[in-house]
Amino acid sequence: MRATLRRHRLAFADAARRLGAQPVASLLAVLVIAIAVALPLLGAGLVSSAAAAAGGLDTDPHVNVFLAMDAKDDDVKRIEAALRGHPLAASVRFVPRAKALEELKATSHLGELLATLERNPLPHAFTVRLKAGDGAKLAETRAAWQKLPAVEQVSADFEWAEKLSRLTGFAGRVLAGGVALLAAAILFIVGHLVGLQVVTRRDEIEVSQLIGATAADVRRPFLYHGAIQGLLAGLAAGAIAAGITYWLNGELSALTSSYAYEFKISFPDPALLALTAAGLAALGLAGAWLAVARELRRFGGPG
Amino acid sequence: MIQFSAVAKRYPGGHEALKDVSFTLATGGLAVVTGPSGAGKSTLLKLAAGIERATRGSVVVNGQNLSSLGETPLAVLRRHVGFVFQDHKLLFDRSAGENVALPLRIAGAGEAETWRRVRAALDKVGLLAKERAMPITLSGGEQQRLCIARAIVNRPSLLVADEPTGNLDAESGRAILELFLSFRAVGVTVLLSTHDEANVARLGGQRLAIRDGRVETGEALA
Repeated sequence: MRATLRRHRLAFADAARRLGAQPVASLLAVLVIAIAVALPLLGAGLVSSAAAAAGGLDTDPHVNVFLAMDAKDDDVKRIEAALRGHPLAASVRFVPRAKALEELKATSHLGELLATLERNPLPHAFTVRLKAGDGAKLAETRAAWQKLPAVEQVSADFEWAEKLSRLTGFAGRVLAGGVALLAAAILFIVGHLVGLQVVTRRDEIEVSQLIGATAADVRRPFLYHGAIQGLLAGLAAGAIAAGITYWLNGELSALTSSYAYEFKISFPDPALLALTAAGLAALGLAGAWLAVARELRRFGGPG
Repeated sequence: MIQFSAVAKRYPGGHEALKDVSFTLATGGLAVVTGPSGAGKSTLLKLAAGIERATRGSVVVNGQNLSSLGETPLAVLRRHVGFVFQDHKLLFDRSAGENVALPLRIAGAGEAETWRRVRAALDKVGLLAKERAMPITLSGGEQQRLCIARAIVNRPSLLVADEPTGNLDAESGRAILELFLSFRAVGVTVLLSTHDEANVARLGGQRLAIRDGRVETGEALA
């Protein structure tokens, strides 16, 4: 057991020493992987932020039915009855024009401007939450309500939110596909780098095998090499992604605040960063394993 | 103990290096393999050390049939066999001490124990003062002795040497053979090959004369 631990300690030290012996080459190799991984990390932050923003929007199918400014109480009752009686209407909420103004004052930065108005510019309105239905039926319903007397406008503003939600879902899929491709690329990059190491140490490997090194003994320092390289690349990728996020958010914050809206790209989640570093270490290890196995088959060896 | 029973070795190219070779070397014994170049001496030594596998027959070393061993047990067995290579197989980017330490590092020995044994092995072959020297700065005889130090550092029960005096002058060659006699004197089984007919009789033990892959004689030497 102690001998095994010593072998691992020696293999780790050997791998770290060899990485340190070629600092520029090692740094470049780590940076190539880190920069490649930082991009999907940034993408993940962007998608996650967009999804959160879309999630904050009301994406359930609903329409707002705005009445004419001169609509009377009788019109309100008649229209409410028509809306409630519609088979697609799940719930109907009446928003009197006074309440609508209060809500607008409370939820926007237009309070001061609205206070200067002599009269309420908003009409009575109904918010109708719809039962799930296909697009054609929803459009048909909207058109039918538009024709009701004393109805000024019917808006179905759920469509864009739904589109945004679908867009973030699509972006998530693109990201997942990109991550899978990137993982394969990293496997090949680390495999290639470790393969070069194996070739340059061919004499040492051959002598070691002749005097009793097993395949595991030969493989061990290279596995540590790949894993350390992957781990460092994962940590560097996290740092790069966090740095770029911080840099972008400064400008983004100034931009979105002019629209009275706060949007920021989320910093990479610590759990995601840990998972990325661990995943890259595992990919480095797997790439090294494949490279050593390939080169050892090429060498032949004793026995 | 080494026991070859009807051993044959055919290389992938089709060349049959050994044909029906049988002999026994008792524990603590010494055998000298002689014969012209290409007779099969190196192949016989590599089979005994577990570096090559027999195509037919069985090679038993210290009670283990090497033909039936898997890759890993065979590699572990090689740790207990000291092999002195004809071309030394030294690592020229490492010091003499680091070259000798290699088998101990593979075996997972502790650092203090490693260097204690490295110095003892270098002392045994007269190279203690060269511990930090790079192999390229050593003479041919010193490189050979360094290779012997690496072979004995793990205290092997079997020492195999392929032409250990091949590239040396007569005096250096005699000194190397004296070393092998000293190892035999402490119970190590020694199997070596040589062209050096002048010194074969001095070694004593058993002579295995090979020609065209067959052992022609297995006579005992004086």
